Amino acid sequence: MWAVFKKELKTYFLSPIGYIAIGIFMLMFSIFFYLTTISYGSVDMGNLYYATARYGLLLMVPLLTMRMFAEERKNGTEQLLLTSPRSVTSIVLGKFFAALAVILITLILSIIYAIIISFFGTINIPTLIVTMIGFLLVAMAAISIGMLASSITENQIISAIITIVVLVAPWFLVDISEIFSSIDLIDKFLKFPSGLVSVSDTVCLLSITAMCVLITIVLIKRRKAVK
Amino acid sequence: MIQVKNVTKKYGSTIAVDNINFEVKDGEVVGFLGPNGAGKSTTMNMITGFIEPTKGQIIINGNDISKKPRKAKKEIGYMPENVPLYYELTPKEFVSYMAELKLVKRNERKQEVEKVIKEMGLEDVQNKLIRNLSRGYKQRVSMAGALVGNPDVIILDEPTVGLDPKQITEIRNLIKELGKKHTVILSTHILPEASQICEKVIIINKGKIIAIDTPENLEKATKESNGISVIVEDPKGNMSKIKEKIKEIDTVEFVKDHEDGTKQYVITTSSDIDLRKKLFEVLPKEEIVIFELKKTETTLEDAFMKLVNTTKQEDTVKKSKKEDKQKKTKEEKSKKQVEDKETENDSKKEEKK
Repeated sequence: MWAVFKKELKTYFLSPIGYIAIGIFMLMFSIFFYLTTISYGSVDMGNLYYATARYGLLLMVPLLTMRMFAEERKNGTEQLLLTSPRSVTSIVLGKFFAALAVILITLILSIIYAIIISFFGTINIPTLIVTMIGFLLVAMAAISIGMLASSITENQIISAIITIVVLVAPWFLVDISEIFSSIDLIDKFLKFPSGLVSVSDTVCLLSITAMCVLITIVLIKRRKAVK
Repeated sequence: MIQVKNVTKKYGSTIAVDNINFEVKDGEVVGFLGPNGAGKSTTMNMITGFIEPTKGQIIINGNDISKKPRKAKKEIGYMPENVPLYYELTPKEFVSYMAELKLVKRNERKQEVEKVIKEMGLEDVQNKLIRNLSRGYKQRVSMAGALVGNPDVIILDEPTVGLDPKQITEIRNLIKELGKKHTVILSTHILPEASQICEKVIIINKGKIIAIDTPENLEKATKESNGISVIVEDPKGNMSKIKEKIKEIDTVEFVKDHEDGTKQYVITTSSDIDLRKKLFEVLPKEEIVIFELKKTETTLEDAFMKLVNTTKQEDTVKKSKKEDKQKKTKEEKSKKQVEDKETENDSKKEEKK
């Protein structure tokens, strides 16, 4: 897993993708920093993270996940990975954690804003930490969905579009029927910014992640037999 | 040692590889020959564990590739067709990554990578991006990826495609060199290459193995008759009478006129004697001047063409029998369609040739 993780993380920053993803996050974060914090003179960063999760992840995650398996398949480098003694599980997890690491980097960068606010008021650090954990959990679920999308196609654009559709569809589905009100991924993040660790939301996000990672592993293994 | 036992691979109703069996012993260099679409790459992909066989077993040094993939794959270095590479990496980074993937120990890694890069002559380009390298270098980087970690078995899928003549000779020499320490399986459709490098060739057509032998034996086995090629100056046109003078001659076949007025003939005999001695004695007496006199050689190419063509004939015979006897169930229909397509393709290929 470590070998794949290192290489993938390096590749994010050898290509512009890593920088663009971080750039998108910082841009969104800065805009919402102005809109939700500075303009209200508030020290509460909860809304800031929530808004960034809602709109930032939508762009960042497809960017990070679209090439994961689609590119390997298209270039045939998948052959190198799958004929190596490494297990499919370790390859999938390596890629997953590499994308997560990029998100983690953005979260660490976001601490700068907390430092800025701390000059003007007191920040509730435990709440901030819980918010970040929540953000990370949502990101994990979103990445796993993107990874699954990437493993079913060899076209990166299609993979990105599938991810975006899956993330955005619930916004509109709610208008159709109340049944869809609880399937919005980002809504599961709603309670974390107020410092609440919601067990049901945590379990939900973790199970989505586990499920998508598992399906990805199974799909790749299965393709060996069908291909 | 590689053992391939009763391996079949189906894609839907199409049979890509049909119940093949063979063994490759340690230190052998084996060539995999066959027309396009014969199942070479599929077989190699199965040996390397990239795809699962529908039926059968593949055992690498005692480890079943499906049941103990980690152990079996560790013994294999694979260079796939079309040389897939990570273009955003440098050769050095790529080879190190491959070394890591292949479980080369951390303390040996740096040394191993340097060794392979040196072996493949990549020192000058090791820090350039693979994206910017020429085809020949890309091929070598891919090969370096296969060699790193010193695997027992090296599998090369069409290693010389797209290289210039100098690079081809280099790669061939390298493969010969590898054959001293490793077991090598390579696929190619360049036959002189196979007869040059390989100790054993496996000829595969339409998913079936049609011959396993040394290139020399195959050449001998398919040799039809004893032929002599002569180039002569024959002002009086006495060549046609030669057949009466030497009784052992079966046919005297005119091949072509040369610009300098000489003519080329092929003389064949079914008996096992060497005609050259007799020709040398008789021809001057008939006022024919010999410019050149040599045995015609069957090449691996002839052997290959003959073997591939005979299987094709057998197939068509089988097919006509089928049509006579059996009622057409749906399954067979689809099978036949596939076969028809294949023969169509083959005939097209032949036309092209």
